[in-house]
Amino acid sequence: MKLRENISGSLILAILTILVLLPLVTVLLQVVCPGLSLEDFAPGNLSLLLDVFVRPLWKRAFINSATMSLCTTVAGLLVAGILAHIRVRYDFPLAKLLDIVSWILLIMPSFILAQGWVFFASGNGIARSWLHIEGMNNFLFSFPGLVTVMVLCKYPMAYVTIKAALEWYPARLVHAARMNGASPFKAWTSVQLPLCLPTFFSAAMLIFMDTVGDYGMSSTITAVYSFPTLPYTIYSAICSSPVRFDMAGVLSLYLVVMIVIAMILQFYVMGRKRFDFLGTGTEQVMPKKAGPAVTGLLSVITGVFSLIALGIPIGSNFIMSFSDSFSIERFRFTLANYQNVLQPDGTLLAGVKNSLSLAAVAAVIGLIIGFAVAYILTYSQFKLKRLIDMLTLIAMAVPGVVLGIGYIFVWNQKWLQPLGLNLYGKPEILILASVASAIPLINRVLVGGMSKVPQELLTASQVQGAGLFRRLRTVLLPLLHSSMVSAVLAAFGGSVFNLAITTILYPPNYSTLPVYISDAYNDLNFGYSAAATIVGGTFIVAIMLLLEVLLNLGKRKRNADYT
Amino acid sequence: MKKILALGLSACMMASITACSTGTGASATTAGTSAETTADTAAASESAETTAAESGAGESAADTAAGNPEQTEPLLVYLNDFDAVIGDMFKEATGYDVEVVVGNGAETMSRIEAEKSNPQWDVVWIDSMYDIYNLSQDGSLLTDWEPENAANLTEFSKGLVPDNKCFYPTGTHAAGVLVYRNDIYDETTAPKTIDDLTDSRFADQVGMADPGVAAPAYPLAAEIMYEKGMEGGQEYFNTLFQQGLKVYPKNPQVVQALASGEISVALLQESNAYEMVNSGEPITIVWPEDGAPGSTRVAAINASTDQMEIAQMFVNFLLDADTQQALVNTGDEGYFEPSVEGVERKADRDPNAKLETADVAWGAENEADIKAWFADMSVQ
Repeated sequence: MKLRENISGSLILAILTILVLLPLVTVLLQVVCPGLSLEDFAPGNLSLLLDVFVRPLWKRAFINSATMSLCTTVAGLLVAGILAHIRVRYDFPLAKLLDIVSWILLIMPSFILAQGWVFFASGNGIARSWLHIEGMNNFLFSFPGLVTVMVLCKYPMAYVTIKAALEWYPARLVHAARMNGASPFKAWTSVQLPLCLPTFFSAAMLIFMDTVGDYGMSSTITAVYSFPTLPYTIYSAICSSPVRFDMAGVLSLYLVVMIVIAMILQFYVMGRKRFDFLGTGTEQVMPKKAGPAVTGLLSVITGVFSLIALGIPIGSNFIMSFSDSFSIERFRFTLANYQNVLQPDGTLLAGVKNSLSLAAVAAVIGLIIGFAVAYILTYSQFKLKRLIDMLTLIAMAVPGVVLGIGYIFVWNQKWLQPLGLNLYGKPEILILASVASAIPLINRVLVGGMSKVPQELLTASQVQGAGLFRRLRTVLLPLLHSSMVSAVLAAFGGSVFNLAITTILYPPNYSTLPVYISDAYNDLNFGYSAAATIVGGTFIVAIMLLLEVLLNLGKRKRNADYT
Repeated sequence: MKKILALGLSACMMASITACSTGTGASATTAGTSAETTADTAAASESAETTAAESGAGESAADTAAGNPEQTEPLLVYLNDFDAVIGDMFKEATGYDVEVVVGNGAETMSRIEAEKSNPQWDVVWIDSMYDIYNLSQDGSLLTDWEPENAANLTEFSKGLVPDNKCFYPTGTHAAGVLVYRNDIYDETTAPKTIDDLTDSRFADQVGMADPGVAAPAYPLAAEIMYEKGMEGGQEYFNTLFQQGLKVYPKNPQVVQALASGEISVALLQESNAYEMVNSGEPITIVWPEDGAPGSTRVAAINASTDQMEIAQMFVNFLLDADTQQALVNTGDEGYFEPSVEGVERKADRDPNAKLETADVAWGAENEADIKAWFADMSVQ
């Protein structure tokens, strides 16, 4: 048993090493070994590691990133927790809207959302020019404004994770608490909340890592009021001449240090306690109809929240997609942007096709690897599982451009050519990179789900003679249905809009949807860029909704079998 | 088990490692006066094909069969503009295939640097003159080669070719013309020189792209530092920073800030400025009489390319007057000063537009320091 666990753990570790660690190490090694040439080995360059205490930019970037990520994590967790609680516990008319809004926000790249906010709140934007709301620009380009936008952009990951966990209710434990005199609130704080700690930590980690590594928002909003962040500074280092991969490596190392600190904190709080509660005394939570006042209030809250979180950024892009001007103030209606986007022989549709193919393959491979990772982290005694956990987080926090450069170092070596493994310059490398990007979210969502399922259930079926695949198929997968659906949709949606890695790695004459959108923006075709976002986004959301319906059809059928 | 794992990991690591400007006078272009003169991209594309085909820049497809180099794979060109037309133009003129990888200057240089042990590119053609010059210092570029069409370079462009002839300029555009919102300032109150920007009446109103991120913004900072001397340049930017200079990552963000009214004055890359004017934004362009800082697009050949002759034909093709005329006609990307004689500029581009660039070797040598200084100052 232990040998099998070690073999599986080592295999997963090897895969993650190839996908994440090796590319990152090649960039980190640039500090002492520029160009990865042993002849240029210079250990003295390690002094660069201390520059965070010397260089004003680095110091500010480090502090800014840490502060912004912490604030976003706390506020995002709160928002996600409340929304997930409302969604799971109550049945009200706009309940489904929360899921739809969260999923759309989850797959939209942050630079598009940030652009939408800029169109809305900037000096002559929609807020001032059309709605006559003054002061929005002062709010957006400030720390509270930035954190607000960040929270609205990043909360969905936590929402999806927490919602999946809250769908199960430890009825027997709660009843025991109530029978011993605990009030409903006391029972919640002393039974349900502690049991959900792994989920909340997973969710917090997701928000923190995604915020700390986010370049899109940094380059769009934080740069405007001189609030440098680590990803922006890393990008500056890469833009230096000669290119300073060593600086990018050191700054990436700071991100890794943040991850390690966060993990130590998590371990310190959670320790080795057990949080699995799914058993015979567990019930699936069914949303209840509340009174008309509560139902009305929840609907209003949901409606207003959706309007702000999704309506503003996507709505602003939608409005700009019908304009050929640079600003809302000089809005001129046109359909030309959509005509260009929807040209049958248009390059954009080719980009959509490429992105969808990549995302589909990446989602399938990512789901298999992510499932294996989550399984090992939850159920195995593999000694290096903390390293596995850390690698998945690194893949999320380290900016895509750094991983992309690492991929070039790893996969563009002459000795790989005869083996047919020189993947740089081929679409396959984008699949590898997309898988690496998709694994963290898949893993976190599944870990949140698996942490509720006690190992005893699997052991019991093993004792009855069920092999591994049968145990997974008949015990684990049915219990993880919501988490699996969430994971696969997140992986698919996220991969379609993965910009950073595809920009640095895309092969000649092979472009993807986010690259087209970004190029159009850089060519000042703001309206075209917005139209491409709307068309591409609509297409992908439709596919995801279809997928969700199909996957949940299966769920209903299975539930029918087991009740 | 641990040993096997450790060995496996070590093998992976080892495999990776071992393979391993100023004056008082100015000329101006204002919104509404020039919108009609801009050619659209589609028409330009057609024009590009025609003029390139008529040009004598390279050999025709028929000539290819008559003893010219045989192409085994497409010529791989890394570039940041003209990606939609250049491949077809070269194919039409010579019969040779071109594949392009388009990216901004920084991404392209990162790719080239990361590929160093096994370069994939044959030709790089970007407006990052100083970066490209730095690339020649370690033997990455073909040097001491002179294309036939280099004889037709303008005096200004001849002065840009470095001693080692590692690249050839194909055009220079203004890295930063002065632009201002004409609904806030008029000709009497607007800045006329780059030095005017330090006037306190422009406090919190000035913006520019980040020299550490935007490809054209470094030549802008470099030229100012070069003209004023390093200390004088730093003093100039210090004053701007103290007065609330806003530094945006790239020029599109400067355009948005100008359009949205976040700022009302900027040092803006030329084609972005003309696009704003052509789009009807209330923007006026001011060309400083002493010259606007210029960013030069250069073409260089990978020293280790296995398609040397075709790569040389490509660079020579870029230096042909008809090719450059076709590029000028390609719409929004065509706002630049051609590097060869006999090319007509964009009709709406100021005929007296004057450009200045920092010395190539000086700009390359000081690039890292200037970018680091600028980045650190911008956060203080």
